[in-house]
Amino acid sequence: MMSLSNRIPGIGPARGKMVFFRREVLPWVGYLLPALLIYTVFMAYPLLSSVKMSFYASQGAAGTTFVGFDNYIRLFTQGEQATRYWGALGNTFYFFFIHMIVQNILGLVFALILSSPFQRGAGIYRTIIFIPATLAVLVTGYLWKLILNPQWGAVNLILTRMGLEGWALAWLGEPKVALTVISLVSSWQWVGMPTMIFLAGLQTIPEELFEAARIDGASGGQVLRHVKLPLILPIMGIVAVLTFVNNFNAFDVVFSMANVNGAPMYSTDLLGTLFYRVGIAGQHPVGIPDRGLGAAIATVTFFLLIAGVRLMQRLTRSKEV
Amino acid sequence: MKKSKIFVLVLVALLAAPALFAGGKAESDGTVVLTMGSWRTDDVTQINALLDAFSRSHPGIKIQFQPTNPPDYNATLRLQLESGTGPDLMYARSYATGVQLFEDGYFADLSGLSSLESSYSVGSRSPWSTADGTPFAVPFVAVSHGVYYNQDIFADLGLAVPATWKEFLDVCNTIKNAGIIPVANGLADEWDIAEVVFMSLAPNYIGGREGRLEYESGRRPWNDDAVVAAFSAMADLKPYLPEGFQAISYNDSNALFATGQAAMFFDGSWSIGTYEGVDFDWSVFAVPPPAGKPGHVCFHADAGMAMNRATAHPEEAKLFLDWLGSQEGANILANTLPTGFFPMSNKAVKISDPHANAFLALNQGRGTDVRWAWPRLFGGEPSGYELMMYGSIKVITGASTPRQAADAMAEGLGKWYKPGM
Repeated sequence: MMSLSNRIPGIGPARGKMVFFRREVLPWVGYLLPALLIYTVFMAYPLLSSVKMSFYASQGAAGTTFVGFDNYIRLFTQGEQATRYWGALGNTFYFFFIHMIVQNILGLVFALILSSPFQRGAGIYRTIIFIPATLAVLVTGYLWKLILNPQWGAVNLILTRMGLEGWALAWLGEPKVALTVISLVSSWQWVGMPTMIFLAGLQTIPEELFEAARIDGASGGQVLRHVKLPLILPIMGIVAVLTFVNNFNAFDVVFSMANVNGAPMYSTDLLGTLFYRVGIAGQHPVGIPDRGLGAAIATVTFFLLIAGVRLMQRLTRSKEV
Repeated sequence: MKKSKIFVLVLVALLAAPALFAGGKAESDGTVVLTMGSWRTDDVTQINALLDAFSRSHPGIKIQFQPTNPPDYNATLRLQLESGTGPDLMYARSYATGVQLFEDGYFADLSGLSSLESSYSVGSRSPWSTADGTPFAVPFVAVSHGVYYNQDIFADLGLAVPATWKEFLDVCNTIKNAGIIPVANGLADEWDIAEVVFMSLAPNYIGGREGRLEYESGRRPWNDDAVVAAFSAMADLKPYLPEGFQAISYNDSNALFATGQAAMFFDGSWSIGTYEGVDFDWSVFAVPPPAGKPGHVCFHADAGMAMNRATAHPEEAKLFLDWLGSQEGANILANTLPTGFFPMSNKAVKISDPHANAFLALNQGRGTDVRWAWPRLFGGEPSGYELMMYGSIKVITGASTPRQAADAMAEGLGKWYKPGM
């Protein structure tokens, strides 16, 4: 209490506790309260109760029984369930990997082009790049499903017209390519996000640094390598963390382009679709969800996210200058 | 000050309103209002007509139809029941899904409901009865499976409805040579290849219901020659499916058939309404059996009507369930049910839609059974459903031979299935 009141101006230690609560600090706490309350009720509590649920087996009206780590053991080791889980985890990493490579590198390239002073019509391009991100995933997913349709989709029509019939695949029906295609569609949709963030980062770099570099005779490539990239390294960290968090929870793009089973042959099954099948909807056609097992998937994903975010923050922390 | 008071009063009234009007409450004039849960969001008009007819003959009772988005029904219903906000009456899935809700204590025991015994056969009742025969839902609607075919294309090419599987493949070949897609089905949605292709043709190979019972009782192995033959029939279809069938979804298949680009489509009676107003004549035929074997039709018990064990008005809800089995109820059901959904009581009824009658006519002279995986094969991992689905997909894509698919079924079911269960 003392240290707090020392740091906040206007609260002398001599005024005592009553004043502390009544006058100066109460409003300050008051501003925090709504956010704290909402966060506790809608984020922290459900999160903790989900962790708790992962230790129970649902028994319908009879309530729930405590089963310890049974759900986790089933998830990681038991037959079909484990096969599905490890498959989905691998697919999710692949899905994230494609986003890191395609979405973020393209985003960086776009941002570098858009921020260059010689670029004309940057505003128009910025809008075009960002438009897909403003559309609902279900809409873009469905549009791409039409575009990729083997019977009447534009992609295969164009390929056939160009004499490349051999390339006209059933894009979303081939276990080897479906996940890549879906990842690319998702990268296309969200490329505007890293573009905007990188652009904002590049625009905060003071002009003096470029001037100084130019006076020293640095080439464009050297400016990029020694001035621009080091200065937006923390931004890359933010982008990487955002990509990681968003794609580890991905569900909708697969839901709209494949199905909740991760068709074909579970090749597009992500943690999100697996969680939905196990914990919420239940496997078609029986449709009896296993809440405890679903909660176990969610809990493991949560800890994976924490670990991943920590790792990425460490890797991209800017070196103290 | 006054204004704010009025505002608060209005706010309180608005917040309280849903609670006042929630289901299961008696209205001020003494009318009992029951709610009905369902997964058939497409059928609001038809079911409301049915419920209005019931209210006309039972003036004191009103039933509100509250359907949920079909894929979410099981999950939503379970949440509602667990939190005590479940509907008074509700559609019940057949077999395991329904049994589970009964065993968890949500569906009421309907033993002793008078029309249940008098109006429904044992076979009709069994999908909504527990292993020891306790009924938990009234058989409500059944659906049928068959092959839709474009009669104009058949006439143009001089084709007749095939009587054997061999003839069927010949028909496919002729259609393909004419530059038309023979069979519209694809693999993208997965469920339809299992439910309306494999489970429609398999009874012809395993010998219908009797055959199914032999597998279930353990007298026949899951990978005998009949199962291999059924998977071989799936593989036979491969050359006749649309280009890029791996990524053709159920809706795409619908569109291919409805636009006349495909001549045939393995589907269920629930799609009859989809093809109202297409500019060609169409009808259905039963999946042809191999030469010399009797034909079978997959006539599947789809929906039962169950009662919430915790309902505040069990008497009124039972009145409705009883009424469904009466002659009056059966007549009204036959006339108001959406086309392609058939009443299950043994009271004679007339159905007016010619296509629906074409489906019903398939049952004449053929054995009928529910979908193979439904009665007993859902209870473990991997489920019989999954094994049939992925077996079918693999033989069509060429990832497995029919023998391998049948062996996978024997191996997968061997992990958990006990014949005596």
